[in-house]
Amino acid sequence: MKFIDSTNFVKLIKKLTAEGELYYPFLDEETGSYHLKRASGFPLEEDFELGGYRAVEPSKGVAQHARVTVAEYPSENPDEITNPDNIIPSVVLGAKGCDVNAMKMVDKVQVEGEFTDPLYKIRRDKMFVVAADCDDCKESCFCTLLGRKPWPEDGYDLAVSKISGGYLIEAGSERGEKVLAENGKLTSEAREQQIKARDEKRQKVLARLKENNSQFPDLTGMPEKLREAINDEIWKELAKDCVECGACTNICPTCYCFLLYDRKMDGDYFRRLSNWDSCQLTGYARMAGMLNPRASLVDRVKHRFYHKYDYLVSSHDDIFCTGCGRCIDACSASIDIRDVLARIEQKVTG
Amino acid sequence: MENPYYPIDTVVEDIITETPTIKTFCLKPARPIDFKAGQFMQLTMPGIGEAPFTPSSDPNISEKMEITILKTGKVTDALHELKPGAKVGLRGPFGEGYPLDKLEGREVLVVGGGVGLAPLRALIYALLDDPSRYKKISIKYGARMPEELCFKRQYQDWKNRADNVSFQPTIDVPAEGWDGHVGLVTTLLDDLDVSIEGSYALSCGPQIMLKFVTLKLLEVGYKPPQIYLSMNRKMSCGMGKCGRCNVGQYYLCVDGPDMCYDKIKHVPNVFG
Ligand SMILES: Cc1cc2nc3c(=O)[nH]c(=O)nc-3n(C[C@H](O)[C@H](O)[C@H](O)COP(=O)(O)OP(=O)(O)OC[C@H]3O[C@@H](n4cnc5c(N)ncnc54)[C@H](O)[C@@H]3O)c2cc1C
Ligand code: SF4
Ligand code: FES
Repeated sequence: MKFIDSTNFVKLIKKLTAEGELYYPFLDEETGSYHLKRASGFPLEEDFELGGYRAVEPSKGVAQHARVTVAEYPSENPDEITNPDNIIPSVVLGAKGCDVNAMKMVDKVQVEGEFTDPLYKIRRDKMFVVAADCDDCKESCFCTLLGRKPWPEDGYDLAVSKISGGYLIEAGSERGEKVLAENGKLTSEAREQQIKARDEKRQKVLARLKENNSQFPDLTGMPEKLREAINDEIWKELAKDCVECGACTNICPTCYCFLLYDRKMDGDYFRRLSNWDSCQLTGYARMAGMLNPRASLVDRVKHRFYHKYDYLVSSHDDIFCTGCGRCIDACSASIDIRDVLARIEQKVTG
Repeated sequence: MENPYYPIDTVVEDIITETPTIKTFCLKPARPIDFKAGQFMQLTMPGIGEAPFTPSSDPNISEKMEITILKTGKVTDALHELKPGAKVGLRGPFGEGYPLDKLEGREVLVVGGGVGLAPLRALIYALLDDPSRYKKISIKYGARMPEELCFKRQYQDWKNRADNVSFQPTIDVPAEGWDGHVGLVTTLLDDLDVSIEGSYALSCGPQIMLKFVTLKLLEVGYKPPQIYLSMNRKMSCGMGKCGRCNVGQYYLCVDGPDMCYDKIKHVPNVFG
C-alpha cells in the first residue's frame, strides 16, 4: 500500500492521460451531486472529486457509446472500424465500487462467449480504471443489500482512498503495478495510521448504508423468490405508475441493450449504427406482423426485474444490479426497486 | 480485430417464386459459409436493414446458400423487389441449430406450417442425407391453400428417398384439384405413423401454429423434453450481445432458435 499526496496524484493522472481522454467525477456545488465529465488530453482541469459517492451518470458510455458506427459496407477494408489503433485510450477516474462491479458484469456479456463485441472489447482493453472508495453515500444507495461493498474490491487498475493530504493508492492489475513501479518517486510507503484512517472511513460508510437500508431485506436471495412471483398483482400495480420513459434502463450501469440499424450514405455505401435501447419501450421486442411478446407494459416492467434478478443470474452468473440506486433517482414515477423487491419478499415468504 | 457486424458481400444469383408471398433467394457469398441445419443468418438488405432467416438449403453446401422468405414488412418487401444480380449481405451463422445428435437412431417427426418449412428443409436435407441413421422420418406440412405450399417440386423425391421416410401435406380448406388431406396440420397428428416413445418432434411455423402443434403433441403423448420448437423473437445482433431475443433466461440467437419445450414451457407468453 502506497501513499500519494494530492500534487503528485495530479502529476500521475496527467502522465496517464497524455495520449487519451479522461473521464472524472466533479462535485456540482449547486445541486450537491457528482457528475461525470470528459476531458481530452491537456490542459487537464483539476476540479475532480474522488470522495463522495457515485456520479449521476454511469460510466458505461465510455466502453459502449450511446450511438456508434459499427460497420460501413461495402468496404475494401471491413475491419478498419475495429482496428484498435483507431481507438483512443481512456482513463476512468474515480469509479466507485458499484461502477467497477457494473463493468465486470457487462464484460461478461460483451466479451465472453463465442462472439465478442469488438468495439466494446477494444475500448475496455484501452481503458485504465482508477477506482475510488466512497466516503459518503446517497439515500438511494443500496450496494450492501446485494452483499457488495462501497469500495472497489477488484476490476480496477489502481484504487485510491481519499485521506488527509492525499490518497492511499493500490494496484489491482499488472498495468496498475507497472504504473506504480514506474512512478515510485511520486509515492511513499503508507503508514499504519493512514491505513487505519481509511478502514475507519470505510466502516463508517458501511454502517450508514446499513442504517439507510434497514427496512429492506437482503436481496441476494431474490432470484428464487422472484420466480414464485411471476403472476403477482404487483406488476400490474407498477405498470399503472410507470410512464414508459426508459430512464431507469438508460441510467443503469448494467443495462447494455442496443439496436442495430442501417443508414444509406452519399454514394453507394451504407452505415450500420448501434444505438442504446430500452426494454421498457413498446418497439423493443416488436416483430413482423405486429407480434409482440411484451406488448403490455405489465410484461415490460416485469422484464426489467426478471432480466436482472433472474435470467442473467442463470446465463451470466450474477445479479445484474449493483445497488447504485440510479434508477431510483431517475424514475419519474418514484418507483423504488428496493421497495418492489421488499414487497415481493414479503409476499413470497409471508 | 474481425468485425462481426460487417455483412459478407453476397450476390443474389437466382430467385424462385414459391408462392404468391414466398420467394427463395439463391445466394452466393464472397466466401463460403459453413452452417448447421437450424442455424440462422442475418441478411442485410443494403440501406434498409437486417432480418434473421434460417437457410433452407443443404447444410453440406457452403459455397451457396438458399433462403426462403415470406414478404411481411420493411426488409422482406424490399427483398421481394430484388432481381438476380442484386447485392445483399450476410452475417452468421448464429445459434445452436437442430439437435441432430439426439435424433440419431430415433423416430423423428417434423411438423411445418407455411414458410416454416423453410428452416425445416435444411433439417430435411440433413436427415435425408443418410436416412438409415434414423429409425423413421415422418414429415407433416400444412398451408392454407395448395398455392401456398413451398417446395412442391421436391415432395416426390422426399417420399422416394427411403422406405422409412414419409411426407404428408395438408391444406386448411378444400380446394379444386386437391385430393390430399384437408384440415389444419394438427389434424395430421391424430393418427401418427411414428411410435411416440423415444421419438422427437420438431416444429416450425407461425407462433400460433406452434402453440396448437405443441398442445396436440402433448395430447397424443409427447413429453415436453421430446418437443423442439423454432421460436421467433425480434433479433438484432444475433450474438447474445444486444439483449433482445430472450425467451426467459435463454437467448434464442445463442441457445436457439430451436428450443426444447421443456426449457421454456414456464415462460409467460411463450408463444407471443
Ligand atoms: C431465427 C429466425 C429465423 C427466421 N427464419 C425465417 C425464414 O427462414 N423465412 C422467413 O420468411 N422468415 C423467417 N423469420 C422471420 C423474419 O425474420 C421476419 O419475417 C422478418 O424479420 C421481417 O422483417 P421485415 O422488416 O420485413 O418486417 P417488419 O414488420 O417491417 O419489421 C419487423 C421489425 O420492424 C419493427 N417494426 C415493425 N413495425 C413497426 C412500427 N410500426 N413501429 C416501429 N417498429 C416497427 C419491429 O420491431 C420488427 O423488428 C425468422 C425469424 C427468426 C427470429
Ligand atoms: S451504491 Fe455503494 S458503491 Fe455505489 S455509490 Fe452508493 S455507496 Fe458507493
Ligand atoms: S439478437 Fe441480440 S441478443 Fe439475441
